[in-house]
Amino acid sequence: MKLITAIVKPFKLEDIKVALEGCGIHGMTVSEASGYGRQRGHTEVYRGAEYTVDLVPKVRIEVLVDDADADSVVTTIVDAANTGRIGDGKVWVVPVDSVVRVRTGERGSEAL
Amino acid sequence: MGEFSKSRSEFLAQITRPSAACRAELLTLTDNWITKLAIEAGVDQINGALVAVGGYGRGELSPGSDLDLLLLVPPSANPDLISVVADKLWYPIWDEAIKLDHSVRTVAQARTMAAEDLKVALGLLDARTVYGDDSLRENLSAQVLADWSSTGEKRLPELRSYVQDRMARNGELAHLLEPDLKESFGGLRDIGILSGIAATGIAEVDQTGLAQAHQFLLDVRDALHLVTKRATDRLALQEQQEVAQLLGIESDDALLRAVSSAGRTVSYISDLTWHRVKHQGVKSRKRILRRKVTESQISDETPLAFGVIVLDGEVVLSETAQPSEDPILVLRAAAAAAQNGLRLHPDTVKTLAIESAIMPEPWPLEAREALVSLLGAGQLALPVWEALDQYEIFSKLVPEWAVVRAAPQHNPLHTFTVDRHQVEAAINSSTMTRRVARPDLLLVGSLFHDIGKCRNRDHTEVGVELMPAIARRLGFNEKDTEILVKMVQYHLLLPDVATKRDPEDDATVEYVADIVQDHDFLEMLHALSEADSRATGPAVSSEWRLSLISDLVSRVHAVLAGDEVLPLPELDPKRLEVGADGDIEVVLDPISSLPTITISAPDATGLLAACAGVLALHRLSVRTATTQTVGNRAVSVWGVTPQFGDMPSTQEIARDLRLILSGQLDISARLVRRREDMFGIGFNYPPARILVLEDVSVRATVLELRAHDFPGLLRIVAQAISAVEVDIIAARVATLGSEAVDVFYVIDKSAGGAHLSPDRTSQVRTSILQALDLNNAPD
Repeated sequence: MKLITAIVKPFKLEDIKVALEGCGIHGMTVSEASGYGRQRGHTEVYRGAEYTVDLVPKVRIEVLVDDADADSVVTTIVDAANTGRIGDGKVWVVPVDSVVRVRTGERGSEAL
Repeated sequence: MGEFSKSRSEFLAQITRPSAACRAELLTLTDNWITKLAIEAGVDQINGALVAVGGYGRGELSPGSDLDLLLLVPPSANPDLISVVADKLWYPIWDEAIKLDHSVRTVAQARTMAAEDLKVALGLLDARTVYGDDSLRENLSAQVLADWSSTGEKRLPELRSYVQDRMARNGELAHLLEPDLKESFGGLRDIGILSGIAATGIAEVDQTGLAQAHQFLLDVRDALHLVTKRATDRLALQEQQEVAQLLGIESDDALLRAVSSAGRTVSYISDLTWHRVKHQGVKSRKRILRRKVTESQISDETPLAFGVIVLDGEVVLSETAQPSEDPILVLRAAAAAAQNGLRLHPDTVKTLAIESAIMPEPWPLEAREALVSLLGAGQLALPVWEALDQYEIFSKLVPEWAVVRAAPQHNPLHTFTVDRHQVEAAINSSTMTRRVARPDLLLVGSLFHDIGKCRNRDHTEVGVELMPAIARRLGFNEKDTEILVKMVQYHLLLPDVATKRDPEDDATVEYVADIVQDHDFLEMLHALSEADSRATGPAVSSEWRLSLISDLVSRVHAVLAGDEVLPLPELDPKRLEVGADGDIEVVLDPISSLPTITISAPDATGLLAACAGVLALHRLSVRTATTQTVGNRAVSVWGVTPQFGDMPSTQEIARDLRLILSGQLDISARLVRRREDMFGIGFNYPPARILVLEDVSVRATVLELRAHDFPGLLRIVAQAISAVEVDIIAARVATLGSEAVDVFYVIDKSAGGAHLSPDRTSQVRTSILQALDLNNAPD
């Protein structure tokens, strides 16, 4: 099993949810996050007005999937989150040893 | 399962509708069993008494309640024998799996424990003998009550702090969607505490509706225990339907409304009682300090507004007040109470509810301003609002309110019922009034932003349909009505767009800019969004989420056109004819809702301050003012309302203005003293804000002051501007409820009448803020 974590722009959350539901993923954890990547410290100029960017608001999405589904889910998230502009975010994948569904006690893939 | 548990379970299983009679039967069943155990254990052998305390002592046993028992023993009893008797008592109770709080004490030990532990003291106040020597219990009760009464003044603050901690942890019963029937503020715990306060004799506890609310909350708790088969007091959403069914209430919504209503009664009485405890404490200290003065001298009967006075720390009607002929009195009294951090006396609320004349439609200006002033008092408005709500007074003034009153919302993001959510939003808005050009519209728009809820359709659409009639009824003109409707229509715009659309996309920003049209409305919507989010709950009001909205707002500000040009105010030519001969002249022109005074005088530095001062001296509140300079004369037109009674004569105003201008009358000290009387309570209004509007006038620099209004504010500000040799060539003043938005057109006298340089602007700003600070302006 794999844990996929995506840090993306907040307004992309709905698109990602719809895309993941389309490939059979119905559960996820979403939390508010703030941070910066390469855009650190730059000042955005918007029609003559300047905005200093400190910590940029993002959402953090976490999804547990079977090993076999990991690549396609990552691709789905990346496609849905992409705007082509700086600050689109990151997606990473880490292996998971064990998963238990608390209510039923099911383990492994059964618990996904 | 033991014999008692079996018969108890059988009894509980046959309850079809929880009631006081069921509780009485469960109490008898339990008392009989405990009596049997006490006899078998040999309580008589030690001449002791088995005493029920706390909820069991009061006879409030719910199906899941534990038993609070005290084995009261005489000091002479043999300790070994006591131990044997106690074991024989407690073990059978444990064996039946009944939850037990137990103790064995002499009267002296119990008294010591009560002195050390607040909860023990409260529990013992309800002591009741189940079996044994009642004289022991009588002795204990008498001593605990005497201790409690004599130390009340010391212990009540401790109890108050315990109540406040509980409220912070468990919220308010009346406004939560999943309330704790016992621990939320306004719940069963507070009813017990009210008895404790009454027992001290320090404050009177109003009993209106209390017994009924008490019995209802006990019924709900019984039903909840029966449904969940657990001793839980949290009325969770998932249980509400079944609990309602068991109580014979038509729906879960109706159940929550009824719980809210009962909780409101209890929290209102609790809040009022605690206010009285605090005030009585102050009064008794005053009495010590002024021991030698007569009773009449320590009376704090103080006029607060027309027909409204303060008596013993509570707001009541004056002897001359006539609610049946003064429809505005109810809002005037409410605003005055809230602005001064006071409570309305329950009898006053009742009188106003029964006797108030019907409010004419549209509301007179004073009524609308009083509503704005009430909301502008922020947190201080809440207890006053709750007092009005006891008699549904606001629903009578605005019938649409009745639909949302105490209405639950089936949305996990929401913390409060619909009505309280809107009141909370208005209170949150009161902290942001400096951010907007129209604080009155922000407060009223916040109060009604969800008025379309509970009507089985999209609440925004319904709100847009309802709002025009509400705004016109409140007396707003068509332009303001349009703004209020637009606020309701777009109250979700900024959060929706900020979280669902790309803020970096030009189209997103232009979409919002097209809707809001101008900076003022954008600021208003921004403040409303924040107030609404914070009133909804923590899930939608994180700094993270609010920062998304702020970022969007900044981007929209950047694409909106610059500020509009503000021409110098111009008066009606007829007004300019006043005082054409050059002397001071004052003319009164009473119009429909706002008496108007025109003052003409030779122009001089400090004239505006003197005019504002003379009006404040005559207890006239300035609602609007416009000034214009004509040659060497300045003409000012003032819309005023008298604070008490009738208008002063124009001759008196002209006379005092001459005296002020000639330096023969110094009114500063008098105004400061008067203000200190009014602002002695400690407010937390947002601080004054001064905006410099660049390039909006060709002739002058424009300063906009946004501040909380108080008597003499305009005089202080005008004086502060004149003090740094800056001339006010025109001004436009507006007081909206208790918020002042004053615009001054100023020129630099020392620079030959030019616009102010940045340094001079900064000097004026500092001068105004220092003057406000020196004069203890509320902040």
